[in-house]
Amino acid sequence: MGAVNIWEKMLNLDRRWIFLGIGIISIVFFLVGFGMPVTTTKEVENIFDFVNELGPDDAIFIGFDFAPGTQAENMPMAVAVLRHAFHNNIPVFMTAIVPLGQGMAVSALNYVTDPAIDGHYERVLFEDWADYREAGITNREDIIAAWERDGNVLPEGALGWVFEGRDYALLGYLPLFHLVILGMTNSIETQFPVDYHGNPIGEMPMLKEHKSLRDVDLAVTNAASGACTYWITYAREKIGLPIAFGVTGVMATDYYPYIQSGQIIGQMGGLRGAAEYEVLLQENGITATTDKAFRGMDVQSAEHIFIILLIVIGNIAYFAGGFHKKTRLKGRG
Amino acid sequence: MKRTVPLMIVMVGGILMIIQYFIPHQYSLIVFDNYLEWAPIVGAFALILGVGSLTRLHSHKIRRRAKNWQYSWAVLIPLFGMPFFALIMPESLGGGTDVHGVHDFLFMHVQVPIQATMFSLLAFYIASAAFRAFRAKSALATVLLLAAVVVMLGQVPIGAIFGRWLPETGLWILRYPNLAAKRAIMLGVGFGMLATNLKIIFGVERNWLGGAGK
Amino acid sequence: MRKNWIGIPAIMILLLLPSLSVAQGDDEILTPVDDNLSATVADNSVTPDETELRPAAGEQLEEPDPGLDIPGIVTVQNKPNDAGDQLIVSFEPAVNSEGIVTYNIYRHIAEEEGEDTWNLVKIVLAINPPEFIDGYDPEYPIEPGVLYEYRVASVNADGDEFFGPVCTAEVVSKGEWFHTDKTRVLIAGLLFILLIFYYFGKAQRGTKMYLRPIAGIEAIDEAIGRATEMGKPILYVPGISTISDVATIASITILGRVAKKIAEYQTRLIVPNYDPIVYTVAEEVVKQAYLEAGRPDSYDPDSVFFMTQSQFAYVAGVNGIMMRDKPATNFYLGMFYAESLILAETGSLSGAIQIAGTDAVTQLPFFITTCDYTLIGEELYAASAYLGHEPKQIGAVKGQDACKAIIMSLITLALVLGILDLVANTHTLNWLRDLVTVSIVE
Repeated sequence: MGAVNIWEKMLNLDRRWIFLGIGIISIVFFLVGFGMPVTTTKEVENIFDFVNELGPDDAIFIGFDFAPGTQAENMPMAVAVLRHAFHNNIPVFMTAIVPLGQGMAVSALNYVTDPAIDGHYERVLFEDWADYREAGITNREDIIAAWERDGNVLPEGALGWVFEGRDYALLGYLPLFHLVILGMTNSIETQFPVDYHGNPIGEMPMLKEHKSLRDVDLAVTNAASGACTYWITYAREKIGLPIAFGVTGVMATDYYPYIQSGQIIGQMGGLRGAAEYEVLLQENGITATTDKAFRGMDVQSAEHIFIILLIVIGNIAYFAGGFHKKTRLKGRG
Repeated sequence: MKRTVPLMIVMVGGILMIIQYFIPHQYSLIVFDNYLEWAPIVGAFALILGVGSLTRLHSHKIRRRAKNWQYSWAVLIPLFGMPFFALIMPESLGGGTDVHGVHDFLFMHVQVPIQATMFSLLAFYIASAAFRAFRAKSALATVLLLAAVVVMLGQVPIGAIFGRWLPETGLWILRYPNLAAKRAIMLGVGFGMLATNLKIIFGVERNWLGGAGK
Repeated sequence: MRKNWIGIPAIMILLLLPSLSVAQGDDEILTPVDDNLSATVADNSVTPDETELRPAAGEQLEEPDPGLDIPGIVTVQNKPNDAGDQLIVSFEPAVNSEGIVTYNIYRHIAEEEGEDTWNLVKIVLAINPPEFIDGYDPEYPIEPGVLYEYRVASVNADGDEFFGPVCTAEVVSKGEWFHTDKTRVLIAGLLFILLIFYYFGKAQRGTKMYLRPIAGIEAIDEAIGRATEMGKPILYVPGISTISDVATIASITILGRVAKKIAEYQTRLIVPNYDPIVYTVAEEVVKQAYLEAGRPDSYDPDSVFFMTQSQFAYVAGVNGIMMRDKPATNFYLGMFYAESLILAETGSLSGAIQIAGTDAVTQLPFFITTCDYTLIGEELYAASAYLGHEPKQIGAVKGQDACKAIIMSLITLALVLGILDLVANTHTLNWLRDLVTVSIVE
């Protein structure tokens, strides 16, 4: 009788103990990282290779299609692609399907251009290089030459300059984004006459070269909802724009059919996907070190082991307690 | 009359959009472009209604001193406070959406952590749900359980300790059996959508207009 | 025939080639095209005559620049299946491509005169095929029915342009009234619509149709009854998608029936909304349900409300309601994402009976684990038919099944053909693939 009670107790373990276990494991493994190696998968490699082939004459869209809630998963993947684009001097349009995604885009940009971080990119705001634009200097190398000629020096630890309007444009959020995507297949400027800061898009050299989504080479949507499929429905199916997904771990399994059908070139699934991209960046000498996602993988490893242990314990109690012989347990659990 | 007019609008609009899909002509494009322009405008008005609803609900609660009425202030103050800081307060006093403004501070230091906290609950709940759900009650449940364990281990670096086969098996499960199941459900869902849309366009389904019908 | 007259300027150009071969790059005459390949001809002070027939300046002969070979004639075709705003433009590339980096293609309206009327509409890399679709540039759209002229310039690394002949388009663009590439979509669409209508009719004629019982739907009444007995409210979450999502519409139709039952039982209903448009529809639906139940006075305007459009703020709000008001029954019907488990697990903690339904495949495991009943995928859409028992609704479900039978047959056929291809080394599967594949990329 007593034994049965133990098994029953194990089976009906108060969920707060589980919560406590997860909490402790997360904190401990976050503080004491092991840096276990992350192997890469073809789903992420395909995105990396695609971006790697692009250059200053191309352009990509990075969709910050997530709210702060899922930034732990979505932000590292967006940041990784942003770094890759800046490294290859690929102009980047930053958009958001959800209102709070706009803040996420600002946040990502601040992070990648943060002077306090080694390996950052030095940002030059749109108004700061207006004189060169007015003088007709719009080519990237010419801008840098003129900019440095005027006494600006690339700070130590910075990997390069990024000029707003030449290397990136923060377009931001608009409501009913699926219609915005549809509109952008004809003209980006009609949808976003000004950027997030109110700068006229039409004056940006990168927009003059890439007037509509037809002149863009890739859209990477980092999303926490099915809104990412807007890019497939309205951009990929209409004009054939290549699309890549960065989605939360929970959603990742949903989109394998799109990979197989070739509707998306690849997918970064959850923290793991972001960590893979970070590893690829490091392996290819684009960044010196990996970043937050890679660090988070230790925590995830430990948590997965903990959950598997829980499942094993639950099953031991289930069989040892003889519950498998009884009829259905209370509830559906 | 109250139901006939909306039904007519839906029917005409629905059929028009179906036909429009097959006609690339400029006149058809004009119809579509008009739709593109109007839809966000309608959406914006609905947002006004939404904010109005939320304000009404919580001001009622405060006025009536309903149970937990204090929380209603926690809704109303940020609801109007955040737009005030972003759009009305002068920039000299920290207004606007720039990095050093009040709005940005509240966004980065209140909204972001709160929302991240909510999402992180998922980790706790998944553990608890997995513990209760994964029991080898039958042969099929055992297959499910084993698949879950393999995928979970395969997705994290530690899985590689058991050998390359584990992550590869995990990926195989995701790429093939998972894909097949997803696609089957997606096909069913697709036809369900088609049938539902037809029912709505042709007025067979009217409950979405209000009430339970017959 | 069409090419005959074009031959005359072509011969003239050939005759001019020797003079071009001694022409030199002259920066004073030729303003280089912007390196970023975005300049328009308006920025360019050069005229075609100047570029084609530049005299060799004696003092520069020490470093002769041979110039570039020029491209040939431009051919223009109307693009099928468009709104009359695109033309297919191809040109003969220069015979000698040495030194040519890109070709700049200029266009203007045939009647217009003057150098500033030419617009640079496309830059084609020399290594790429010499054709493109004109009309995509939003700055220089193609107007239907307007006759255009084109000219192409060879461009060297310095941006110097060497113009070919001006060619008048042989056609004007015009829009079509049917997109021929969508014929298969039309046939399949019509077939499926006909099938669904056939079953509509069949059901209306009184044919009895069997519907597999779905436990989740049958439990709805029981769940409402339970809340009534306990004197606790019922929480109805219509998902976090927009009204254009079919799952949301299905959810709203179920809400109508649930609300009517609730109105009859005089139980309290709480419907927090994520989307403002869904909120307005849900409010109307609930109000109407109370009216139909004959209890308009019992309708509480605060029962349906908009909450927030932020995913996790919405979750926090709904969870708060669950923990404070302790509803006896929770319905989660509609579209859900990562928040599904947080909602359902909190509901399970609060001890409520939970009925979920979604077509979000990824969220189904979470609902199945934590809810008492779950409607899987299309069961959600069919719920309305189950609840109403209207013949047409049941006919629609049967029609759906018939459509699925066609797809299943095709998949089986593909499987057989695939195996056949493997065994007999044939290519029959490609035939089927071609038959069903629709390319709608413009």
